[in-house]
Amino acid sequence: MEESTPEELEPLFDYRRIQPVDFVYLDDDDVLDSPPIFAPKRKRIPSPTVEKEVESCKIVVLADEKEKDEEDWLPPPPKMPVSRAGFEEDPTIKELRLKKQELASFAQSAGDVMRAVEESARKEISKLGRSALEPEGDQPSKVTGEREKIVITIQDKDEQKKFCVFKDDKFERLFKMYAEKTKNDIESLVFCFDGDKVNTSSSPKSLELEDEDIIEVHHKSRWLAILRRKLWKTNHLEGKGLKCKCNFINISAAYASDIKKSEQNRLKSCCPNCF
Amino acid sequence: MSGGIARGRLAEERKAWRKNHPHGFVAKPETATDGSINLMAWHCTIPGKQGTDWEGGFFPITLHFSEDYPSKPPKCKFPQGFFHPNVYPSGTVCLSILNEDSGWRPAITVKQILIGIQDLLDQPNPADPAQTDGYHLFIQEPAEYKRRVRQQAKQYPPLV
Repeated sequence: MEESTPEELEPLFDYRRIQPVDFVYLDDDDVLDSPPIFAPKRKRIPSPTVEKEVESCKIVVLADEKEKDEEDWLPPPPKMPVSRAGFEEDPTIKELRLKKQELASFAQSAGDVMRAVEESARKEISKLGRSALEPEGDQPSKVTGEREKIVITIQDKDEQKKFCVFKDDKFERLFKMYAEKTKNDIESLVFCFDGDKVNTSSSPKSLELEDEDIIEVHHKSRWLAILRRKLWKTNHLEGKGLKCKCNFINISAAYASDIKKSEQNRLKSCCPNCF
Repeated sequence: MSGGIARGRLAEERKAWRKNHPHGFVAKPETATDGSINLMAWHCTIPGKQGTDWEGGFFPITLHFSEDYPSKPPKCKFPQGFFHPNVYPSGTVCLSILNEDSGWRPAITVKQILIGIQDLLDQPNPADPAQTDGYHLFIQEPAEYKRRVRQQAKQYPPLV
């Protein structure tokens, strides 16, 4: 019982698991068709020479990782010598392998160059005072000893947006950018993590956020915002007004009489400080 | 051993929740004043569904997990005296999926529990009453029931 439980549960609560979009099986036939495509590939992987060569080029390893994992459970050692002998004698395969390695290392160096360019471009951007925040579109590049980055999801009622930011950067910047992007007045937005308001002067690091953690955004109700603005503008606080316990919401008698009785209580209970 | 299973599962639940949860809901393990985290008790918030009399309310609920979780369901408690036909006077929620002998399955996630309770708020089950007040008004005085529900929603405004 105890052993079977985690197995049975595991896929259900792993929300992060993303289904590969490309694999759309329209009917059972397709499912049956796909495995044979992978089958010949598997046989080649156990060859130790390939593995050694591949060590230098991570791209190839990553691509085949899935199959390698499965292969680990099969008995590879007895297979290896056999396949090695068979493959190494074949000059065409050897040639192909060398070519593959060459291409892979070329691809990797190209990737390195790209990363270096990206990094320097990013530095320039932040130098110019432009925000270095970027929507998730570009991959969170690997940390290269510089400031750590983190992907943060901002979720409103209807959708999620992902942002890649520096871990020690204040939220102020991210929130400003979000407000601009969604064409909202930043004053009308409240950002929360775990139900608590996020202070704009804190950072992902100070809140101990992890990659892809969700920050929720709420829209302050409009009428409350308007009332508050009225209140601050008039600065008219004396008289028999409307107050919450802590006085944060404190509306003068002149305005309080404009508010419907039914709304008065709701307004008082909207105080973010004492309720 | 089974306690290890409960904690392991709850740690996974929490991890998954941080990365994906419905808007307006909160679910976090209890934190003691010294900063230590108790995975066996979660403080959650369920928002009232839009377009219902529950809208605008953010209802606090505590999930108490036992060492036998996930073989056994957590006990889910609203504040004492919470107004709803299927909530006991103590605040404990009466819902089939939270009953070990009927609808509970170990695979049910925290997210599913909270969404299930949100659904229950606006769709009480008159076949399974747990308090007299809420039940009688729901059956006999729909208008008054509505008023009480709206009043309660105002009692639990958003925290931010």
